[in-house]
Amino acid sequence: MASFDVNPEIVSQQSDLRRRRFLKMGLIWLVILAFIGWCVNGTIIEDTDWSRIGGRSGVLASIGRYFTLDLGLFSELIIPTLETFMMACVGTVLGCFFSLPVAWLGAANVTPSKSLLYPLGRFLMVLSRSVHEIVWALIFVSAVGLGALPGILAIAMRSVGFISKITAEAIENIDAKPVEAIRAVGGNQFQVLYYGILPQIYPVVLATVIFEWDINIRRSAVMGLVGAGGLGLLFFRQMNSFNYGGVSMVILAILMLIILGEVISHYLRKAVI
Amino acid sequence: MAVLTVKDLKVRYSAKGPEILKGIDFEVMGDDFLAIIGPSGAGKSTLIRCVNRLVEPTGGTINLLGEDVCALNPRQLRNLRRNVGMIFQEFNLINRMSVMDNVLSGRLGYTGTLRSVFRAFSQTDVNQALYYLDRVGLSDHINKRADELSGGQRQRVGIARALMQRPKLLLLDEPTSALDPKISREVMALIRDIALELNVPTLCNIHDVQLAKEFCNRIIGLQDGYKKFDGATETLRDADLEDIYAMEVL
Repeated sequence: MASFDVNPEIVSQQSDLRRRRFLKMGLIWLVILAFIGWCVNGTIIEDTDWSRIGGRSGVLASIGRYFTLDLGLFSELIIPTLETFMMACVGTVLGCFFSLPVAWLGAANVTPSKSLLYPLGRFLMVLSRSVHEIVWALIFVSAVGLGALPGILAIAMRSVGFISKITAEAIENIDAKPVEAIRAVGGNQFQVLYYGILPQIYPVVLATVIFEWDINIRRSAVMGLVGAGGLGLLFFRQMNSFNYGGVSMVILAILMLIILGEVISHYLRKAVI
Repeated sequence: MAVLTVKDLKVRYSAKGPEILKGIDFEVMGDDFLAIIGPSGAGKSTLIRCVNRLVEPTGGTINLLGEDVCALNPRQLRNLRRNVGMIFQEFNLINRMSVMDNVLSGRLGYTGTLRSVFRAFSQTDVNQALYYLDRVGLSDHINKRADELSGGQRQRVGIARALMQRPKLLLLDEPTSALDPKISREVMALIRDIALELNVPTLCNIHDVQLAKEFCNRIIGLQDGYKKFDGATETLRDADLEDIYAMEVL
């Protein structure tokens, strides 16, 4: 073996360093493992009703019940599937409308008041995202009753956070030069926005809206669980009547819808960018 | 008759920040092609942006076309800006729009909000845009996107846009700094010819002294917010230049 002539001082420094790093890494892993162990103990080991599971075959049999299809449900699926799709579309459009003012308030460079309205805009963005869509749906069901309308409102509210945040960030990142040019020709506030800012942000905003619409199809599929219309309601009913084949049918319909949304948004995004 | 009279102009960008312009006086006459020269950071861009209040002056008065610029309310200011064509160092075009739409945007000050949403400019505006696009030599590029053009071509779009305003004063902010020497000269010549043709006085920031001497009839030298020189181009001596650019040596 070849011998390498190196400064022994550096060698000992290096091995010191490496030993210390080894110990540090070991400690970090130990802490992570201990934490996960604590969580598993608290949630799975102590919190599961082990006596009800009744062995491996019981679990498999329970899951196996879902591998049948209740084809008779097909005719009942069409309307709710369509409704789910329409809820996602209307909810997204409504969300865009709500997002416009929020983005305007929450973009530091165009906000009408930096001290008052900017924080308000930012707060609305966080509020929209921190409340789960099901919780929004519950709120709106209690406000406007059962049906698709509370679902649409819930989806719109839940969409505002993401769309307005991305839009506000796009506005903050624009190139100020065209804005200056439109001001210089005597354009009004709206024209500055429409000619100076909009052309710069619309590809980002459109891509975001398409993405959000894609997500909203998933969201509107579960809205019915709390009575806010769409496939979720059907799912809930099948589950309550222990019709496992029917549950599978609904899940299949949701899957189809999501694949459809995925395909459409793929082509839309391509068209935009 | 002076088109533009600036008196004791002072600017600072923030209350505690340094004073960028420290009391500037000058006039632009109806037939002037006036150059403002000076080292980087002398306040040239700030000065030119005060004229149409893209930058708010903190002191002094500006009289443009008989109006006290600093006293105007937002609507009056927009009306005044329509009369002032501006050409920028980096062209300031709307990149995602076509050359034609960029040129038409010069008429936005005269176009109602609703019409501007649909880019429904009047037929006169469209004809005028086509005329000026031809004048600046871009007839073959009308429907291209602005970001497909070369630097020199983009500046020509900027010139056509400014002309669409039928300006009574042209402001040029380093119109050639982003261009190579040959194109710079072409662009300057084009602007000068058009300014002569339309009889528009022009105020031009420029750091290239050679170009200033070649194209401008009068020169103002700025240094660190003070006016160091103001006179006809022929009277600018090397000693004056050394004085103006003295600080840049450091």
